Amino acid sequence: MEDQMRSLLRRLVRRIPSQVLKVTLKKWGRLTAAQQQNIDSTPTKWALTDQLLAISEENGWTVRHVAELEMIYVIDKPNQGMWHTLRLVDPNSDAQTVDLIQFKEQFKSHLSEISRHVSVKMKKNADEAVWIRIAWGDSFSRPNNMKPTYVVHYLQTPYVFVTRLTSKKKPLLYQSLVRATRHRAIKDANLSGQNLSAIRDLLMQHYQQVFPGRYPSPLGERTQITSNPHVDQEQAEEGVKRLQMACEAFGAGKLPQLQSVVYKMETKFKDPKNQRMTQREEPFRCVVTFKSSNILESLRHCAASGIASTPLTPLLSSIPRKGSNYFVVTDNIPRAASQVSQQPN
Amino acid sequence: MEAAKGVLSQLSALEVRAKRRRVTSPSHADALRTRLDALTAQRERLKAEIHTLRDVEKRKMELNNRCPEEEEEAEDTMTGKLLHLMAKQTQLKELLRVHNITGGYNVAKTREGEGVCLTLATGYEGAYLDTYDLELDTRPALKIGRHNVPPFIPLGDLGERAGLQDDVRGFLDALGAHLNAFVGRREQLRLVKELHPSVTVMESNAPCTILVLMLSVPGENKTVLCTLNYTDRTRYLPTEVRFDCEDEKLPESPEWKNNRKLFMEMPVDRALRAMKDTTDQIG
Repeated sequence: MEDQMRSLLRRLVRRIPSQVLKVTLKKWGRLTAAQQQNIDSTPTKWALTDQLLAISEENGWTVRHVAELEMIYVIDKPNQGMWHTLRLVDPNSDAQTVDLIQFKEQFKSHLSEISRHVSVKMKKNADEAVWIRIAWGDSFSRPNNMKPTYVVHYLQTPYVFVTRLTSKKKPLLYQSLVRATRHRAIKDANLSGQNLSAIRDLLMQHYQQVFPGRYPSPLGERTQITSNPHVDQEQAEEGVKRLQMACEAFGAGKLPQLQSVVYKMETKFKDPKNQRMTQREEPFRCVVTFKSSNILESLRHCAASGIASTPLTPLLSSIPRKGSNYFVVTDNIPRAASQVSQQPN
Repeated sequence: MEAAKGVLSQLSALEVRAKRRRVTSPSHADALRTRLDALTAQRERLKAEIHTLRDVEKRKMELNNRCPEEEEEAEDTMTGKLLHLMAKQTQLKELLRVHNITGGYNVAKTREGEGVCLTLATGYEGAYLDTYDLELDTRPALKIGRHNVPPFIPLGDLGERAGLQDDVRGFLDALGAHLNAFVGRREQLRLVKELHPSVTVMESNAPCTILVLMLSVPGENKTVLCTLNYTDRTRYLPTEVRFDCEDEKLPESPEWKNNRKLFMEMPVDRALRAMKDTTDQIG
């Protein structure tokens, strides 16, 4: 037990940069004033590690304590690792009235019923998010705290975000979530990324959406401000219309920092000049990936400047509309054009 | 000689008719002429009416299309002014009719008539708060499209229950009630945090349907945990108020029963202020 605690602590100190570590320790509040002062004045990481190990002995910390510290760090800096989104479907009639205490109890009891030796920690953040840290074990071994799964859920919404979940433990987690939130099923929402705040803001619509029919002129003014007064735009109205359509599709102002969009193409090859490829019966399978530091803003700029034709193709506008960044594109056999269809992967 | 009789009788009938016509023809012609005049006059009148209405319609379209910044052109003639007023009147009548149909919600047509976008405004205690937008696809069937309504408002449920196909107004009214109540509850929470810093908010949730406050009774060094449940999401007042205290007799005392009444009948921040004013109970 103590070995696990020490190795976990060592790994944590290695992962976290010194400044952030000091702030996190202060937030955690389990150090005495003198210990905190010592920590603050230690310059190197190595010395820091030794100091913390000594303090952990002094204060008698266990794995649970260090897990707490790790949780605080992850909640503060969630934008690392790969987060995947899940969506709860088919709510029962009492799904809307599940409150925090009920959810916590039910989740813990269900998970411990179906999986031996799990260690679950739950914490509610100020922004109404429930954070869950799960250390999995099995009938033979203790919970492995070195590879915990983190789950974030906002009560009364159908969205759950998970990171570091192995496929073996997937059904266990899914079942406990479904039972605790009083829904009937859970499925993959095809939205993943490193930036948790981005995918969360996209799904919960924490950005400024633009709807038609409301005061289109402010956007028009905005385009005029940025252009050179000596340059007269011949097609200014078209620009305004394009900007309006782009903002309606993606949103205005600052957009969530989604970093990649993947299209898995299963459509037939279409090129009138290339007879050999078009003659093939099977679809031409390929994967198209868009990567950017902020994909939504880049696509919006493409639409507004005319690079992408407006009205926007549903391939692009589905990203914010469906809240997904993984699409499987197939040909719809009755119709000639290819359509976007979403399938669980 | 039937054939001859037939021919002869026919000829005599024709003769009689010709005689009659010759006799009545002047007045008949006059009657026809007067009728002709009357019809011509009516045609002229109708033509003038059509002309006027077309003019009014044109002015109305101009009024509709005109941006508010452009100035109104001055009308010179009396008839011009009259027509202008008639156009304005028809425009306002139509606006009123549309307003009645849409029930006071801002509606805008979108995507070449394939859908409509509605704006719902919310307010609490006389102050306008958030506005929410909702897109409805009208073809092939009435369906909810994009919206920025928070995810915990049961949009799908409301649509099914109110019968989105038959009763759009009912659906919109129910949605408006939910949104207004949610915004009201959220405002109350914000006011509690701002105006009553001595009261600690122990628990709240995103749709603001549960509120747990910790109140301390000064002088007796006791804390009371006050739980407010808002199970009816269309109201901004709680449906259940519960007090928990280590001293079990405290919630049963008359003053706390009165406090319970305050919480059930007034918004939270006002109830807290009333408690503070009357008995100096909370500290």
